[in-house]
Amino acid sequence: MSSGRERALRLGLLALLAVVLAVAPFLMNAFRLRLLTEVLIFGLFAASLDLLVGFTGLVSLGHALAFGVSGYTVGLLATRLTPNATLTLLAGIAVATLVSLVTGALVVRVRGVYFLMLTLAFGQLGFSLAEQWTGFTGGANGLPLPVIELYPGSALLGNAVGFYYYALIAFVLGYVALRRLVDSPFGRSLVGVRENAERMRAVGYSVSSYRLAAYCTAGAFAGYGGALYAQQQRFMSPENVGFETSALVFVMVVIGGRGTLFGPVLGAGVVLLMQQELSFRFEQWQLLLGGVFIAVVYFLPRGFGGVSRLLGPAAARMGRTPDEVAPGASP
Amino acid sequence: MADDTTAGLHRRGFLQRAGLLGAAAASPALLAACSGSAVDEGGDSAAGSPSASASGAASASEEEGPSASESASASGSGEALRVGLLIPTSGVYTLLGESMRSGFQLYLDTNPDAFGGRSIETIEVDEGETPDTGVRGAQRLVTEEEVAVVIGIVNSAAALGARDLFDESQIPLIIANAGANDITGAAASPYIFRVSFSNRQPNFALGQYMYDEISPEGVFLIAPDYAAGTEQMAGFREAYEAAGGTIVGQTAPPFAQTQDYQPFLAEIQNAGAQAVHAFFSGGEAVTFVQQYTQFGLGGTIPLLGSGFLTEGAVLQGQGAAANGIRTSLHYVSDLDNPRNAEFVEAYQSAYDALPDVFAVQAYDAAQLLDLGLAETEGDTADMATFVEAMASVEIDSPRGAFRLDANRNPVQTFYLREVVDGANTYVQDLIEVEDAV
Amino acid sequence: MPDVGAFLSDNAVTILNGLARGLVLFMIAIGLSLIFGLADVLNLAHGAVFLLGGYAAVQLAPDGNGFLVALAVAALVGLVLGGGMAAAVRPIAGRGHLDQALLTLGASYVLAELASLVWGDNYYSPLAPAALGGATQVLGVSFPTYRLAVIAVGLLIAVGAYLLFERTQLGALVQATVADRGMVSALGVNTSLVLAGVFGVGTALAAVGGVLAAPVLGVRPGIDSQVLLLALIVVVIGGLGSIRGALIGALLIGQVESLGVFLLPELSAFLLFGAMALVLLVRPEGLFGAPREAAG
Repeated sequence: MSSGRERALRLGLLALLAVVLAVAPFLMNAFRLRLLTEVLIFGLFAASLDLLVGFTGLVSLGHALAFGVSGYTVGLLATRLTPNATLTLLAGIAVATLVSLVTGALVVRVRGVYFLMLTLAFGQLGFSLAEQWTGFTGGANGLPLPVIELYPGSALLGNAVGFYYYALIAFVLGYVALRRLVDSPFGRSLVGVRENAERMRAVGYSVSSYRLAAYCTAGAFAGYGGALYAQQQRFMSPENVGFETSALVFVMVVIGGRGTLFGPVLGAGVVLLMQQELSFRFEQWQLLLGGVFIAVVYFLPRGFGGVSRLLGPAAARMGRTPDEVAPGASP
Repeated sequence: MADDTTAGLHRRGFLQRAGLLGAAAASPALLAACSGSAVDEGGDSAAGSPSASASGAASASEEEGPSASESASASGSGEALRVGLLIPTSGVYTLLGESMRSGFQLYLDTNPDAFGGRSIETIEVDEGETPDTGVRGAQRLVTEEEVAVVIGIVNSAAALGARDLFDESQIPLIIANAGANDITGAAASPYIFRVSFSNRQPNFALGQYMYDEISPEGVFLIAPDYAAGTEQMAGFREAYEAAGGTIVGQTAPPFAQTQDYQPFLAEIQNAGAQAVHAFFSGGEAVTFVQQYTQFGLGGTIPLLGSGFLTEGAVLQGQGAAANGIRTSLHYVSDLDNPRNAEFVEAYQSAYDALPDVFAVQAYDAAQLLDLGLAETEGDTADMATFVEAMASVEIDSPRGAFRLDANRNPVQTFYLREVVDGANTYVQDLIEVEDAV
Repeated sequence: MPDVGAFLSDNAVTILNGLARGLVLFMIAIGLSLIFGLADVLNLAHGAVFLLGGYAAVQLAPDGNGFLVALAVAALVGLVLGGGMAAAVRPIAGRGHLDQALLTLGASYVLAELASLVWGDNYYSPLAPAALGGATQVLGVSFPTYRLAVIAVGLLIAVGAYLLFERTQLGALVQATVADRGMVSALGVNTSLVLAGVFGVGTALAAVGGVLAAPVLGVRPGIDSQVLLLALIVVVIGGLGSIRGALIGALLIGQVESLGVFLLPELSAFLLFGAMALVLLVRPEGLFGAPREAAG
């Protein structure tokens, strides 16, 4: 396909998507709209993990820590101080970034499977904290939240349509920011770190600083998603901090296609939609899904991300896994 | 409920769909395949009024297909009433959910001309075992399935988490198990009803008896570390200490994650306990009671507790270890009253098993709905009036007649039971308990 | 000076219990550790195999009779499953830990759901064999005889593993393959066979552990994840690829789960994961593992 036609197709699809998203509330009922909102939120969350996994090559099984910590921050502020949407959102992101900074400083010291297990350990520590610190978090019972408001007295965000537009704008802002980040020189350096850290070091890059920066940025965006999640669901529980959620977002990234940024967003849509639909249809649905999971690993190692090449040539470049660049050099 | 150190690794799965690129643009459209527009509904995240449920019912049932199960309804010729049944069909509480379904269904089957002439359409949704899944289940029933009333909920945290949903959308919830005190306390709402118990009640009822008949001092408390456990122990402590008793110790094993109670049993022995008051439910009750005997406490330190310790299916798992355990509960299957005799007979011929408290609770939930509809002659258009009607009735239950207090919680009598030969038998009445409002 | 003697006798039963738990954990951890050491595969399906072992006890020895049959069947099934996993992992051998983790995770979902399909979501409590059903007096306190038997069996397996790996040629071969697979392969040994063997035996041990643990812990959905996470902690602390590490680590974790929970109930969760994190930071290869090149 020629570059001009490719571009036209790409723009056309984007335009179609934009239109559909803009008029979504007129096309579906409130429950479905809530689901779409959740897809957007998890899409952002998954994209943030992709920054870490797909672009920097750091496989984390504890990404829900930043996500959940942000959500709980929003919850605490909303119940005790103010239910202001923007304030709680920013506070959530701030706390998530801080937590990522602290854990990141420790976590980037290790690589490979040790990194995987350390992030898992930190995630579970967060989970235990959420469970035990009953005074703050409500413990195993979870933390219900009030409706958030854009300004005092506003009920705009109290219904599905109002909240959807709020989340949509938040998503677009967040995604565009991430996109620009990965397309920037910083983003390219991350890919360099992923593909050949030794060489990067030799050329004078501080690899661990870049990894830490990636980890914190990913954490910040995860916090962004987590705050929106808390604001929509109006309920936080320890599961949102632990492995269960970390695994879920991880799966979204893998299915959607790591290293593409948009793939994971699609992955979020697929996973959430399927979870909703299938779980009510037959009880051992996870059997089928586990099987497909295995099939994906064997036959589609990059998920369907390759298809999203059509959405951007840069994505195609970024999307090459380490094995394709230098076989055997995988983390 | 959340698990502690180890069980965070719950299973998740997912499915790949082909043609993902098209799905990117199409998925919002696919979602829209359901009829209805969020904007038309006034954009409310909650469902509209029950009058909308009739139209909602038609479209929803077309798409949902076999997903939400719909049972054959009562044969009234009136307008269908969509009832959501939110019970656990997976996880730790599965067996409780089955009992509840049986009890609920029995009422429907034995009262074909009830419910103010309305025909009942049941939509069942899995509550799961965490508050997360329970709250989502409630949301689904209210906003997607657009039911007029929801019955069920085992997990207290799920009930608390979903409380605002029902209060704001003005859809009544009849809780058929969840015992958190706050549900009919600090978080009470005119739309939240409970026909089961509050965590305080069964334990409060036992306090005086423990003091008088078992031991005036040296009781050790043990219950899992979550809201229900804490509240149940507090209820006992309130009554026992008021009677003059002294608690010699208290411990709380991590909820849904402890498989080995030996360290806690050692704690009980080391404290020199004269008696133990315990609360465990489901699988944990089986494990605890078995190990209580295995580690030698069975014959030496009397074990009493909240009735869930020896209720329903757990008795089979516990085997001989359960014999001799005395508990307090608002129901026992050999209660001697005509309503219960009739109920037990009907239950046994329908399900070939003795009913347990969970079945009775769900049965009474259906009965409450029926009585409310009788008061308004089947009219649920004005929900505010309907819930007031429901709140005012007295329920002729197999457990004995009871009414609801101002916060819609039962005011009921508790009974002392003892496990004899693997089954609970009635010993005596304890007291009637009414929670402060 | 704290009175260690008094402490030990006061808590003897708890410590003994911790020993039993630790030895069962060892049976699971040893397979996990060796499989990782040998094949660089983090076998996340290991917990599901433990679960299946438990169901073997439920199915074949629910009242304690036929316990040996259950053990034998479990061992056999474990062997076959292990071999199967070894074969399944080969095609993606070079692809890195992510894909392996995914594959074994998917396998664990499938196995667990199959178990749920067959046995439902109930809690099962299979009984110990009748001969071991009672309690023994240990230092004046009742202790279930069956748990003593578990300790005995666990010690037997530990000793057997030690002898096998330290005193036989086969053991030396396995150790050499763990240390330097390429070299062993260059010497003409079929390392894939060694791999399959280790996978098979390790998985069989996990299944056997499941049978042994069933009368103690009960069998229900969810224990697979719990056990897997504990085994991961053991293997991280003890050292990937080290048998001694698996034993020491398992005994340690067994005590934390037993004595630790008794003494410091709120902190036990933090203790476990905190220890795991600490080890990963300070000495990622674990207490007894060989320093590995963490690629990248």
